[in-house]
Amino acid sequence: MSRFLIQFQSPTLAFLIGGIVIAALGTRLVISESIYKFIVFMLLLRVGLEGGMSIREANLAEMILPALLAVMIGIGIVLISRVTLAMLPAVRTEDGIATGGLFGAVSGSTLAAAIVVLESEAIDYEQWAPALYPFMDIPALVMAIVLANLYFKGREGTAEKVRIWPIIKESLQGSALSALLLGIALGLLTRPESVYESFYDPLFRGLLSVLMLIMGMEAYSRIQELRRVAHWFAVYAAVAPLVHGLIAFGFGYLAHVLTGFSPGGVVILAVIAGSSSDISGPPTLRAGIPRANPSAYVGASTSVGTPVAIAVGIPLYIALAEAVF
Amino acid sequence: MTQQATRLVIVTEKVLTKAVAAIIESYDASGYTLIAAGGMGSHNTRSSGEPSVLDHFGNIKIEVITADPDSAKKIADAVSERYAADYACIIYIDPVEVLYSHRL
Repeated sequence: MSRFLIQFQSPTLAFLIGGIVIAALGTRLVISESIYKFIVFMLLLRVGLEGGMSIREANLAEMILPALLAVMIGIGIVLISRVTLAMLPAVRTEDGIATGGLFGAVSGSTLAAAIVVLESEAIDYEQWAPALYPFMDIPALVMAIVLANLYFKGREGTAEKVRIWPIIKESLQGSALSALLLGIALGLLTRPESVYESFYDPLFRGLLSVLMLIMGMEAYSRIQELRRVAHWFAVYAAVAPLVHGLIAFGFGYLAHVLTGFSPGGVVILAVIAGSSSDISGPPTLRAGIPRANPSAYVGASTSVGTPVAIAVGIPLYIALAEAVF
Repeated sequence: MTQQATRLVIVTEKVLTKAVAAIIESYDASGYTLIAAGGMGSHNTRSSGEPSVLDHFGNIKIEVITADPDSAKKIADAVSERYAADYACIIYIDPVEVLYSHRL
């Protein structure tokens, strides 16, 4: 419990709540989208650079099991939403599947927030752990689009054939994932230490606090949209991040027993499972499942899912890791 | 001297920008103008930048000027056939007098 109180005062959560509060008070503060995108780029590039520089020496065979788990969890989250949220009365099946896809996909900002907490608590994690991001993100989006098309096919007998490669390509081209992969490549293949130490690393926490403020304001402004769809989306968005995170924590623990996956790595796996995509996922789903209502999945993810994943999820998994390991 | 031409205006979602541009180009239009759009309609209120930051679902307004009304209508048909059912999409044409242009 004291952990939650400390977390409450941490810059990450304090700025998130601050953003919600000033938006609720009707602030005229506007932070433009380009700044938001730039911050996400800076954070993910920094995470990628650090990972890239330290995996030069790492044994990447260790990554195979966690990466497989990430793929399974990403697909599993969408399947769970198919038999829970998408089955509920007043929820259109395609909206439920799209929401599951977004919650299976990964949020770069939530990942960055978790890394700041892990570093400030001096919890070690495998430096390649952030690179698990695409292994969960892409299968979840693909699965959601495939399931939605299967559903339309079953209902109407007609469906367009799903082309999977364009979905993968679009996900990899998304701003967060491009920056992360670029950072890994630069860290791995070049010597970016000087610019990393003098520029990217010192700015990391400060930029994250601005990002959290933006996420808080965005969360509040999207509540209006969430109100227009079934209440089940709000319920799902509050419960699902923690359920997904705990499932991933369980699988991560299994990997810990089998291959010595570190506690910090298990926390990162749980965080990316509990997070829901906020930049790259929504446009991919809008194009892949045009009939699903974006107010349902974006409202659920941004206004409830992300704040829960950051404010409750991250401290929960860290507390659990300290209790279990 | 002015020249009679047809202006086709498509107001639709930002995610369709590339797809609509490809349709316009496939019908031999010599160019188009793209404007970020905001407003209110049956799908939802869409702002152009404020107050929400994550502007994935902004709108665009595309203007195409064609020498003959037929090609404008063909573009309109192709766009509405593929996208009008699932996306916010309003299309209209009006006659315009072009005062200056290299070519249409």
